[in-house]
Amino acid sequence: MVNFVALAREHWVNILVPMGFVIGYYLDRKQDQKLTAFRNKSVLYSRELKPGEEVTWK
Amino acid sequence: MLMILIPTLMLIPTAWASPLKWLWPTTLTHSLIIALASFTWFKAPSETGWHSINAYMALDPLSTPLLILTCWLTPLTILASQNHMSTEPAPRQRTYITLLISLQFFLILAFSATEIIMFYIMFEATLIPTLIIITRWGNQTERLNAGTYFLFYTLAGSLPLLVALLILQNNTGSLSLLILQYSDPLNLAPFTSKLWWAGCLMAFLVKMPLYGIHLWLPKAHVEAPIAGSMILAAVLLKLGGYGMMRITTMLDPLTKELSYPFIILALWGVIMTASICLRQTDLKSLIAYSSVSHMGLVIAAILTQTPWGFTGALILMIAHGLTSSALFCLANTNYERTHSRTMILTRGLQIALPLMTTWWFTASLANLALPPLPNLMGELTIITSLFGWSWWTLLLTGAGTLITANYSLHMFLMTQRGPLPHHITNLDPTHSREHLLMALHLLPLILLMLKPSLIWGWTA
Amino acid sequence: MSPFILSILLLGLGLGTTITFASSHWLLAWMGLENNTLAIIPLMAQHHHPRAAEATTKYFLTQATAAAMLLFATTSNAWLSGQWHILQMNHPLPTTLITLALALKIGLAPMHAWLPEVLQGLNLTTGLILSTWQKLAPFALLLQVQQTNPALTIMLGITSMLIGGWAGLNQTQLRKILAYSSIAHLGWMLIVIQFSPSLALLTLLLYFIMTSSAFLSFKLNNTTNINSLATSWAKMPTLTSLAPLILLSLAGLPPLTGFMPKWLIIQELTKQGLAPTATLAALSALLSLYFYLRLAYAMTLTISPNNLTGTTPWRLPSNQLTLPLAASVTATNFLLPLSPPILSLLTP
Repeated sequence: MVNFVALAREHWVNILVPMGFVIGYYLDRKQDQKLTAFRNKSVLYSRELKPGEEVTWK
Repeated sequence: MLMILIPTLMLIPTAWASPLKWLWPTTLTHSLIIALASFTWFKAPSETGWHSINAYMALDPLSTPLLILTCWLTPLTILASQNHMSTEPAPRQRTYITLLISLQFFLILAFSATEIIMFYIMFEATLIPTLIIITRWGNQTERLNAGTYFLFYTLAGSLPLLVALLILQNNTGSLSLLILQYSDPLNLAPFTSKLWWAGCLMAFLVKMPLYGIHLWLPKAHVEAPIAGSMILAAVLLKLGGYGMMRITTMLDPLTKELSYPFIILALWGVIMTASICLRQTDLKSLIAYSSVSHMGLVIAAILTQTPWGFTGALILMIAHGLTSSALFCLANTNYERTHSRTMILTRGLQIALPLMTTWWFTASLANLALPPLPNLMGELTIITSLFGWSWWTLLLTGAGTLITANYSLHMFLMTQRGPLPHHITNLDPTHSREHLLMALHLLPLILLMLKPSLIWGWTA
Repeated sequence: MSPFILSILLLGLGLGTTITFASSHWLLAWMGLENNTLAIIPLMAQHHHPRAAEATTKYFLTQATAAAMLLFATTSNAWLSGQWHILQMNHPLPTTLITLALALKIGLAPMHAWLPEVLQGLNLTTGLILSTWQKLAPFALLLQVQQTNPALTIMLGITSMLIGGWAGLNQTQLRKILAYSSIAHLGWMLIVIQFSPSLALLTLLLYFIMTSSAFLSFKLNNTTNINSLATSWAKMPTLTSLAPLILLSLAGLPPLTGFMPKWLIIQELTKQGLAPTATLAALSALLSLYFYLRLAYAMTLTISPNNLTGTTPWRLPSNQLTLPLAASVTATNFLLPLSPPILSLLTP
């Protein structure tokens, strides 16, 4: 906290993995969105939702 | 899935760009963060059994515990390697960490692969970093021989697997695990189908390893540095078990007759390798043979093709992964102090390092499958499923349990109890890093007692 | 060598291969092959020591024999079918003779005995030209010949793989090791040439990239035998750490590029119903893996602080361009994920 510039210059590598986490999480959500096209379309596993139930994955 | 894979990839630039002073703490912390993030995979609602689906990767209750074990083990390997790598020049330390991270990357892709050829490529890809870790950073000249045995045994088994998988692809048109269980059985001529069955399973049997083709394992485990031994014992052997569990869904009904010799060999191997453990002078060699022994039980269970068998196999794989890795770390703490693996030279350590004895005690008890630890749960489930297959196996499995208890106790008493030899009275006290390492191995094992359904696989 | 003479010879090499590529008449193809032989002879003999002269003579004699066999086969084809077109050759006699002649030209077993000795007498650059460029023209002809005898190419292939693997096990000279590696890889190409010529071409091109990496990295180290590889970590640590990957790629280990041709060839063979042949081919790759692994051990995996197997030579700054090496090493290691586009480029 004493010197933000020195902190940033010495410890900038610590941001790489969290950044990767954020990118991965975002890409996973986009992939899930793409797969919603196939929701409840399976011949084997499709079913009507019970009255209070939500979809199992978004 | 990418949520864990991309951070794993980003660990590599982290390893290369960190200043040397912060290299090990940084990589350790970030790999621990990834491991904790991987726990989100446990909660997985789905109707079909597969969740976190990607174009090429998916998770199901079988692969989830193995993946989490992989992600958990990488920070532990980094933690364990910190001491013996401290004398190496900086680029080599970074290379070592990069090798460990690339192992995690390939293992994640292997366990989560939906297409079997991708699984095959990643299965083979794990060989290269492991080979480099063993042959470059091992400590004795025998490490070259160990690397050659490791590479050649595994490849000789897995090249026929490639041919068998391509035959399967030509016949069924697709190798996607998501649908392969619903496909029609293969129509091949009788002799060809037996060869195909053997081709499919040989690679995994060599990897597990089955007694009879297990010679690479004692060499590789003994000569590898600690991180290599840990990742080999804990995860790479389980790749074989995982592959077997996936591929046997397609091998019916051949397996009913063809599995006989392999189940017998596996059970005989349990007894033989356990007996060999009793006569070992080298501590790491003892732990390596004990791995063969436990994996023999896993092979026999998988080949019975019953739900209890698969469940028991998975539980034992996870529990053994943690236990075996813990034992190797304990052996390494001895090796770092005395540079010797001979058991009679490093005796009576309870007097010199009393706190470490707690961990030795817990790990030995876990190894001999003390209730209520998951090790017993796995072994008992396997023994029951084998009993259901044939009553006579009880003789072999019961004797195996007895001899396992025997050598685990022998290992504990030999290293901890008795008089301290005069030449090692000046050992370094245990570092808190080593306590942390052992705790991180054994606490998950103890916590799994509370919710074992996490590692039950498909019967959950 | 004077730059004029060097450029004449290199242009001659290029011309010869181009003539063979462009020809549909057997005589023109033969002319291109002879042109190649003649152009490379002075390149081989440029350092006038006896070993080079011996290598040049052996090369000339074998290539001349092969060319004469080719000429005889094409003449008998003209006698039997009345025309000289390359693609219209159906009679088994000339086809078999031509396959054997071209196999002698590129060094396939059992006509491989000249290759290790010739390669041993050359410096690494000329050896690289011999291993890569000189294989293009005969290979182009092999791709076009219709195989009337399916067993012939399969036998040539399997024999080459086995001999390339087995004979390389006893070598300590790097050039001979690379010669046997060349024989083994050519075996892989031949085994699939009648089922999928484009796969054989893909294997050839990938082999070019991988063997260029090997030759260029050995040239940068200025080493010709295994023991002297042991000091490369002190001269160029990055190349030393990448060298095992190059060697394992030559051995065909996933996830490196060298796995791509092996995988696709085994797939093609199983589709054609030749699964036991595919298994034999795959297992024979283990033989060559052993000597590649030994090279990796010598170069990288036994470096300091272990005992070295060689003594440190004088280190002079090298004038060699490293860009070709960098490009080929990258391609040697990381091209496997690009298999689908590469396949679609090569298969029509």
